[in-house]
Amino acid sequence: MVGLGSPDRGDDAVGPVVARRIADLHPSGVRVLAHEDPTDLVVSMTGASAVVIIDAVLSPGSAPGDLIVLETGEGVAPLPEDAWARTGRGGTHAFGLAAAVELARALKRLPPRVVLIGIAASGFEHGEPLSPGVADAVNRATAAALDALGVAAPGVPAR
Amino acid sequence: MSHKLTDGGQVMHVGTLARVEGEGAMHIEYRDGKVTNVQLRIYEPPRFYEAFLRGRSYTEPPDITARICGICPVAYQTSSCWAMEDACGVTVPDAIRLMRRLLYCGEWIESHALHMFLLHAPDFLGYESAIAMAADYPAVVESALRMKKAGNDLMDIVGGRSVHPINVKLGGFYRMPSVAELRAFRPKLEQALEEALAAVKLVSTFDFPDMEQPYEYLSLRSEWGYPIETGDVVTTAGKSFRVQDFTKHIQEQHVAHSNALHATLDGGGPYVVGPLARYTLNFDRLSPLAQDAAREAGLGETCRNPFKSIIVRGVELVEAYHESLRIIDGWVDGVPPSVPVPARAGEGFGASEAPRGVLFHRYIIDEAGIIKDAQIVPPTSQNQPSVEADLRTMVEMWHELDDHALSHRCEQAIRNYDPCISCATHFLDLTVDRK
Repeated sequence: MVGLGSPDRGDDAVGPVVARRIADLHPSGVRVLAHEDPTDLVVSMTGASAVVIIDAVLSPGSAPGDLIVLETGEGVAPLPEDAWARTGRGGTHAFGLAAAVELARALKRLPPRVVLIGIAASGFEHGEPLSPGVADAVNRATAAALDALGVAAPGVPAR
Repeated sequence: MSHKLTDGGQVMHVGTLARVEGEGAMHIEYRDGKVTNVQLRIYEPPRFYEAFLRGRSYTEPPDITARICGICPVAYQTSSCWAMEDACGVTVPDAIRLMRRLLYCGEWIESHALHMFLLHAPDFLGYESAIAMAADYPAVVESALRMKKAGNDLMDIVGGRSVHPINVKLGGFYRMPSVAELRAFRPKLEQALEEALAAVKLVSTFDFPDMEQPYEYLSLRSEWGYPIETGDVVTTAGKSFRVQDFTKHIQEQHVAHSNALHATLDGGGPYVVGPLARYTLNFDRLSPLAQDAAREAGLGETCRNPFKSIIVRGVELVEAYHESLRIIDGWVDGVPPSVPVPARAGEGFGASEAPRGVLFHRYIIDEAGIIKDAQIVPPTSQNQPSVEADLRTMVEMWHELDDHALSHRCEQAIRNYDPCISCATHFLDLTVDRK
């Protein structure tokens, strides 16, 4: 399970926040990571049977905190060209999450199941905490991630 | 894409240039095989960093200016620290300089590994993107990702974050990494160094267009070591000056077609900053290992072919891993992480070698430490005139090529510089107007 995002930029921190929440639950058989740079994903996904990636997204028409779930994997159709197209832009010469997933596929390192859980965000200001809508989504995103990983953890409200 | 003009000329238009940082366009006018006009049009909006630094505290530029760029934040942090410490009359101990150098190696590694293999190599191997290239060259791309990750991890250990470090402050760091933390990372750096040596050999086998730049090269040069975190300014024309005199020699002008300022050196023609300039002016300062790697790759002690910048970046990658290991091996616990930097009224200057060239900062602060004036001269705005001059030369050399092939060559010529447009607006759409 990978939480993606900068811990210092408002709602972008939600990926690492959910990752920490899941790490604290010590689910068996799950390795939990937090990354800022999507290119690290290709190396860290290698060998996993499934990977769940959590990231803040901007999604027109969604309310802050809405979950947007995409699924792909080895042998499954690639992500649509516009999927999360702008994720990671500006930070890494336009090498974003979708590019990292498709690079892993080209390298035959994409796990059979890849679940991308996007959390609709509203603000990315430096030094700001999570916005209320996104903070409210942390439990739901944690449950969705555990569900996608097929592991049960006590004390996490169901979706 | 091209279309005929009613006057018989031709306009070629290529969509927003991929695999560069930021947004811009290229316009070329072309008459009877002669290039009449070349403009690098940077339309990334101006970002006004220099203006909104005014009125802020002198302690803030390392964190604020780091946010100008996600690929070279350490350059901004380092140049701003040197400049503010200069204004306050503080010299940091050698150990702090060394730790700045180690953090900076992490940034060079991240940036060079990304640019060489995920952005630049597809040009030489004939692929649209690194993803397309990865299917045929999986071992190369995987090695690049491991090399880059070693840089990310080094930034994390020293800077507290792999993208925008949070451990940098005026006078040094909030905390120093321990010997144990650094030594534990050694095996990954050793493996990455071996992979970098192989990478230099690989890129040296690419096909390189025959081209030599006549421009003046400018880089930093320090009393020891390859120029990374500090140095005085030197050029291939034999000029040498202190960073404090940078603005006496480098002038910035606004040009109508770009949101980035253009810089000139002593009122002369284009000058180049970045890997080729550093290498040509500092070959003697490379480690013997990096020098040998360069020689084995067929490079002399100077390199003026902009397409071969990919080899030079590989040599610098070797140097960065080697230098990181050297610093880690000599590190001892108990070094105070910072020295005090009390405010005083004054002007300060700082420069360091960002992965794509010299990054200069200048600040004026008052006795309370409030910033009165700020000036930032990033490498990409210094390289803009030479990018335009390269394109002028290349379009004339290759005017027989069809529009698609020509525009691809032009894009490659631009990527030779690894331009960072986000930094310079302070990129690319190509139009060629042929007659």
